[in-house]
Amino acid sequence: MEKGTFQDVNAQVVQRCREGDNRAQYELYKLYSKAMFNVSMRITNDYAESEDVLQEAFISAFKNLHSYKAEASFGSWLKRIVINASVNAVRKRRSELVPLEDRMAGDIADEDYDDDTEWQVEQVRRAIQRLPDGYRVVLSLYLLEGLDHAEIGEVLGISESTSKSQYSRARKKLLEIMKDTHSMA
Amino acid sequence: MKDRLKDFVSENREDFDMFEPRPELWQEICTELKTQQAQKEKPRKEAKVISINFGDRLNFAADFMFMRVAATIVLLLACGITLWTVKKNNPAVTNTLAATTETGEQASVYQMAPELAEVEVYYTSQINSKREELSEYDLKVLGLDETREIDSELARLDSSYTRLKDQLQTTPNTDQVMAAMIRNLQIRIEVLNRQLEVLKKIEAIKEQDTTEPQNNETTTI
Repeated sequence: MEKGTFQDVNAQVVQRCREGDNRAQYELYKLYSKAMFNVSMRITNDYAESEDVLQEAFISAFKNLHSYKAEASFGSWLKRIVINASVNAVRKRRSELVPLEDRMAGDIADEDYDDDTEWQVEQVRRAIQRLPDGYRVVLSLYLLEGLDHAEIGEVLGISESTSKSQYSRARKKLLEIMKDTHSMA
Repeated sequence: MKDRLKDFVSENREDFDMFEPRPELWQEICTELKTQQAQKEKPRKEAKVISINFGDRLNFAADFMFMRVAATIVLLLACGITLWTVKKNNPAVTNTLAATTETGEQASVYQMAPELAEVEVYYTSQINSKREELSEYDLKVLGLDETREIDSELARLDSSYTRLKDQLQTTPNTDQVMAAMIRNLQIRIEVLNRQLEVLKKIEAIKEQDTTEPQNNETTTI
């Protein structure tokens, strides 16, 4: 029910956008630009690139608003555009997004050596930023953007199981980084 | 599998969004959107101008169609006028005497005997210059009927020339017809030359008489 009314609120603005209403467009931009910018930041890890992605995504969203059928919320539709644009931006920069699989042959089994440490948002965020591209993208998509492994596989063009294993490696690497920085501090 | 990290992130999800795009970015998006919209509406706007000129009854699609049709017509007209002027200018040199046939026929005739065009240009230029010389005399020597005779003679030659030209298309023996045609042109020049000579003589005689006719007049009175 609540979702329905939420969609309705957006639907009005979206409709005005379809008619080329600049103020409605700004309303949607104000509502989503920050979240979308952070989505892009986590994937590209580059401020200028994220701005480009954001610009490109909003323009393409407004241009292709007719293809948005209120099946999902406007936010998740836009988020998908941003994610795709960001992934493309990283792809342009680096040839492969998921290249680290074989290098990590000697994986250590999951251990909860982190259980006792207290995490800070800032600490986690910085650690994510320090992850290599392939890890960072999968981890961000899974942890922060709420995509499941099937969806991640679809976005990155990899299998669901690859996404899963990539995530667990990324997670491990992240905990390592956090541990290192913690002990250094 | 229990994922403490995932729990932590979802608990603090809001705090992870700490970046903000530059506030100017919206302006950039706006201008980009506007230019894209302008590009999309460009053909519409052009059509609109037309619809103002030709009344509002025509809708955009029809106007666009109208623009296309109009452009086609203009193009065809331009081509037609160019062709017409070119055709008009080219025969203008030759048409005065020899090339009196229809332009449509000419093309095929010249295809059969390409050297004919050159020959025609050469002789007609000669004939024209002679005619010019003659006309100068004509102004001076008005009282001569002979010039009319020559005109009719030249007209006769001209018509026989056209007949020969027609024959050139039908007879297989083009060389003979060509020779006849060239002869025809040469005859014209001869005729004109003779006339010129006659006129020169008359002029000479007249010059000699310039002193005497005055005397004659006085004597007759």
